[in-house]
Amino acid sequence: MSDDIKSSLPQPPSDPQPAADHSTLPIWIIVLLLVLLFLGGLYFDNHSGWFQPQVYAPFASADQLEMYQPKSGAAAALARGKVVYEQVCGLCHGIDGLGKPGQAPPLAGSEWVTAKGFNRLAHIPLMGVNGSIKVEGKDWNMAMAAMGAALPDADLAAVLSYIRSSWGNQASPVTEDDVHKLRAGMGAHAAPMSGDQMMAMPE
Amino acid sequence: MKSGFPATFVVVLALGGSTLGFVLAPAVQLGGIQQTTVLNTADIYPPQRTGDATLGLQVYRANGCAACHTEQVRQDGVACEVVLTAPGANPAAVTNLLATLTLTNLTKEAADLVAGQITGLGGKVETHIVPNGADLDHGWGVRHSVAEDYLYDYPVQLGGLRAGPDLASIGVRSPDAGLQLKHLYAPKSVNSNSRMPSFKYLFTVQKIGDAPSPDALNLSGTDAAPAGFEVVPKPEARQLAAYLLSLRANLPVYDAPFTPPAKP
Repeated sequence: MSDDIKSSLPQPPSDPQPAADHSTLPIWIIVLLLVLLFLGGLYFDNHSGWFQPQVYAPFASADQLEMYQPKSGAAAALARGKVVYEQVCGLCHGIDGLGKPGQAPPLAGSEWVTAKGFNRLAHIPLMGVNGSIKVEGKDWNMAMAAMGAALPDADLAAVLSYIRSSWGNQASPVTEDDVHKLRAGMGAHAAPMSGDQMMAMPE
Repeated sequence: MKSGFPATFVVVLALGGSTLGFVLAPAVQLGGIQQTTVLNTADIYPPQRTGDATLGLQVYRANGCAACHTEQVRQDGVACEVVLTAPGANPAAVTNLLATLTLTNLTKEAADLVAGQITGLGGKVETHIVPNGADLDHGWGVRHSVAEDYLYDYPVQLGGLRAGPDLASIGVRSPDAGLQLKHLYAPKSVNSNSRMPSFKYLFTVQKIGDAPSPDALNLSGTDAAPAGFEVVPKPEARQLAAYLLSLRANLPVYDAPFTPPAKP
């Protein structure tokens, strides 16, 4: 083969494997990715239901699904009791019923709440408490306003039933009728009482 | 091959990731799914299919029904409705209050507020849970489809195109087996707007014997068999009708809560 022909053929490039230059990743891409990751995390938290198989659109979380369960009878009263509790009582006694030190005694496991009868318990929101009251072996010296006096019978019964059956408490429910009778018969003791005074009442 | 390891790594990552996400995760989530109870009752859902209905699923599949019909109802949202059940001791005040309130299409929080206002005046209320969405407006169901609806379907006939209506609750909408069979034989005789092809080959035209068969279709006009003949369903048609009647996704379950209409 002559040199003429050889030189007319396509020649291989001098560097057959071109390599990319090294360059640093711009900082704005890292920031953008972090922002996207954060937004993605927010979206996941709001919409995923955390992979629980029973939760899917239009429900975003197990709590929301639970909230939209239709309730009737006793279950409806308990659901109503939870709403009322969280609006009226939860601020001091805590959503978890554990109370707040120096402010309000616990309801979870409290002998006042889980007593067989609800007479003393129902008097607390109806009249309020003034003076010392012993709860779970501890003395609480405080004043509670008659927070339940303005509640309708049904709501008060619901909230009493709710605290008597939540956070491990297992006491009998209170009906609207019970509260109605109790309210009608209690005209004489309208002033807030201390724990000892209440112990004098029937359970 | 210079990039052998990275290429293999990427392939394994892609295939492994999709197997995890699309096969393993759903199997973990729903693989152990069982019958559930209907909300606020002890009834079991879904009921076990009869033999005919189980075979009917395969007829449904063999005839490609899922090419034009879906079995999946979507739901856009859920709302609450507050219903007054008893006006209580002060009906005039409750009536005045009701006139100022919105009672339908509420969120749960808003419904609780409204219920609180009414019970505050001594009225009694119930809060009803009402699903909403375009599919539900079509009358194709009362709630979105849930995994339990497909518990006894193998393979699941979800469908992807709606040339015909959704069939997730056809057994509730049209519970008459005779009408279903007539519709399969001559769709236009049941619904004059139907675009469904006739499935005549699932039926036999036979000479009437000593007495007309009790299974013979009640046809008229040009659809009717010639004089002295009758149209009776083959076993496949009967199985398909049994399957269609078993599609009854209309009960409230935990995943798809709603308040069922009160029984009269």
